[in-house]
Amino acid sequence: MATGDEKSVMVVGVDDSEQSTYALEWTLDRFFAPYAPNYPFKLFIVHAKPNAVSAVGLAGPGTAEVVPYVDADLKRTAAKVVEKAKAICQSKSVHGAVVEVFEGDARNILCEVVDKHHASILVVGSHGYGAIKRAVLGSTSDYCAHHAHCSVMIVKKPKIKV
Amino acid sequence: METYVDAIGEEDTAATTTTETAANKNKKKLRMMVAIDESKNSFDALEWAVDHLRVVISAEPETGQEGGLLTLVHVHPTYLQYIYPSGGTASAMYATDSVPEPMRKAREETTTKLFTRALEICRGKMVKTETMILEGDPKEMICQAVEQTHVDLLVVGSRGLGMIKRAFLGSVSDYCAQHAKCPILIVRPPRETSTSSTKELKSK
Repeated sequence: MATGDEKSVMVVGVDDSEQSTYALEWTLDRFFAPYAPNYPFKLFIVHAKPNAVSAVGLAGPGTAEVVPYVDADLKRTAAKVVEKAKAICQSKSVHGAVVEVFEGDARNILCEVVDKHHASILVVGSHGYGAIKRAVLGSTSDYCAHHAHCSVMIVKKPKIKV
Repeated sequence: METYVDAIGEEDTAATTTTETAANKNKKKLRMMVAIDESKNSFDALEWAVDHLRVVISAEPETGQEGGLLTLVHVHPTYLQYIYPSGGTASAMYATDSVPEPMRKAREETTTKLFTRALEICRGKMVKTETMILEGDPKEMICQAVEQTHVDLLVVGSRGLGMIKRAFLGSVSDYCAQHAKCPILIVRPPRETSTSSTKELKSK
């Protein structure tokens, strides 16, 4: 196996949540920071910006006016997520990570990105939904774990036991 | 719970018994637990993990960097109703008189073979490996083991069951993904097409 330029690829999916931030930090802590500058993986940080129209859904008359506002808001969130990801990389002194934003449904985007970059590992956080929430809201980490064409690492933020 | 400690590769304990400074703490390698059973998928998962995660877990004798720890855990499902004593630790449940001796022997043989195969895969990778045998419901026991040993990462294979089969047969990897107290890595069964074609498509 050539160790020169054929580095394995790791994709980390991030959204606006605390769990995502934790997942990214944990991954950088364990897989990147201690090995600078020879990182064992090439890192891509991917954010999926939901489509404004699908986010609003079929809410009846008046949706057409709401869409631009929703879209602007989503763009702001996406920018915030990208900034946060870059800041986290900076704080751990991890360089060379590529941050990407795509529009669409998170599950599909993550699986597509894995294929595009031929990633070996996909890392996602987990909202830790219970069974009912999962059934209703759907779980991105679940979907990715079963549909991505690579191994999936699910990083959960540990609940603080009182 | 019986634990067999079997050290393979270099154990660089001498250099690391010094006090842990903050820098050292960051450089501590991963403690990983891999769940194996007789299925091919779990061995594939073990091979994949040892291959791709070698950097984060192996010892580096040149820099005196201590390696991480790889724990191989195997759970005997209790389909028998007999409970037999487990190595003289806390649980002192005694078997009914008619524990089928040949069955127990057969089981031990299978387990030994299993671990021999697994340790073969880990050989020469410079990582301290230990093995653990548990009894009970695989998904619950694995999650319990994670809690007790405080590992950093749990690695499981995936049978690649469809949604319906998963609902009926139950999926250990699904359960662990939801309930394990540490990050979990689910290794997909290797696809015959993708791994070979990635080498050709590396045109970027």
